[in-house]
Amino acid sequence: MYRETGLVNSPPPSAQDDAALLALVQGGDEQAMASLFERYSKVVYSVALRVLRDPASAEDVLQEVFMQIWRNPGGFVATRGSLGGWLAVVARNRSIDALRRKKPSEQVEEMELASKYNLADEAERTSLMEKARGVMRLLPMEQRKTLEMAFFDGLTHSEIAEMTGDPLGTVKTRIRSALTSLRKAFTA
Amino acid sequence: MSDERRITSEDLALFAMQLLPKEEMAAVAGYVARSEEARRELAEIQGDLAIYAHTVDMHSPPAQTRERLMKQVARERKAIPIDAATGVHRTAVRSDAIFTESGAMVPPSLMEELPPKGGTMGKVLPWVGWAVAAALGLMVGNLYRQRDAMRGEMATQASQLDRMTVDAAAARQVTDAMTDSSAMRVTLTKGPATPVPQGKATYVASKGALIFLASNLEPLGPGKTYELWLIPAAAGESPIPAGTFRPDGRGNASVIMPPLPKGVEAKAFGVTVEDEGGSSTPTLPIIMAGQ
Repeated sequence: MYRETGLVNSPPPSAQDDAALLALVQGGDEQAMASLFERYSKVVYSVALRVLRDPASAEDVLQEVFMQIWRNPGGFVATRGSLGGWLAVVARNRSIDALRRKKPSEQVEEMELASKYNLADEAERTSLMEKARGVMRLLPMEQRKTLEMAFFDGLTHSEIAEMTGDPLGTVKTRIRSALTSLRKAFTA
Repeated sequence: MSDERRITSEDLALFAMQLLPKEEMAAVAGYVARSEEARRELAEIQGDLAIYAHTVDMHSPPAQTRERLMKQVARERKAIPIDAATGVHRTAVRSDAIFTESGAMVPPSLMEELPPKGGTMGKVLPWVGWAVAAALGLMVGNLYRQRDAMRGEMATQASQLDRMTVDAAAARQVTDAMTDSSAMRVTLTKGPATPVPQGKATYVASKGALIFLASNLEPLGPGKTYELWLIPAAAGESPIPAGTFRPDGRGNASVIMPPLPKGVEAKAFGVTVEDEGGSSTPTLPIIMAGQ
């Protein structure tokens, strides 16, 4: 049985898109903030945990990233790409900063991000994850490992070259090739 | 993507991951600012990285993290909208004061003493006043934002400090229990066994963290000390001194977190007897060893 209320035309928070939730956060709506947390906390925490390998530090990054949204929801503009993708990259960058014990880099939040995926939708998010993992599994081991060392371990190409004994140019090419393969798989 | 300063797509990928040296980061940032094509490519790379980030194994954050966030959110509740604050100020300025030709604000009590204005200046002056009022409004908004950001920063740091204090207290309790000379230490064995000198080392190579607990040690003569050694797994590397120790009256001793380099894989640990103050190389015989 449905009861008529003043909110009858408002979609439930889970169905609202990111831009609508951000607008509500801008107005100080704490429930909208909770909805964004429910939606993206898992990916932000998982990325931070992978980089930092320490649950307490990953929790700190999670808190920091979401408080950034609360304090400055306008920092992310919908035209810059998907909020989910932006959060995943910001979580990685903040974690690397924490790993290097340096101050958060501002240019990270300024980034534009091309994305055609609606990561607010859980089914689409899950499908993207599975597809991306599948693509990575098919990559040559060296490419996969090099990208992992750069992205998740925050190692520079010089550090990777030193550790693997590969020439600098090879390391750079492997990183780029891995990303290109990923892009091609998603545009095909 | 390969014309200016030989900046390539590879460089843009490293730039996106912030893995270039500082000077190169600045050079690429400058290039990106000038080139629309570079900006487009960088956005594509960020999109690729966002997808790649999603390949990570997913873990749900602990339940209390949501509570922690919402508490912090409530603590930093958005009380005064910036526009409202600015608007109130603007109204106050408009009703209570006017501005001189130089733009200075004049209090209402002096308004009667001002000469009448006319012509161009008379038309321009009110706009000057509005401009100053708007500038003041912006300044108030800016100050409000700064105050808000600082308050947020302080609240975050306070929350981190609270947690670090709790963590430090817990760590201190563990260390105290392990090093307390009055602590009861029991070695469990299967069946009756004669107590023999025994040491247990727990070592995390990546963090250079070592905890060593020993029991049933024989007392040492004056001027002598036991010394713990880390034997590196890499061939040809010398043993690394990992701390000296003397047993207490019951034969117990410990070495907690001695200064060790990070990332040294250990093949074994050993204990020797050295002169007080320790040695830089082990003196044979090795009286206890384990791997």
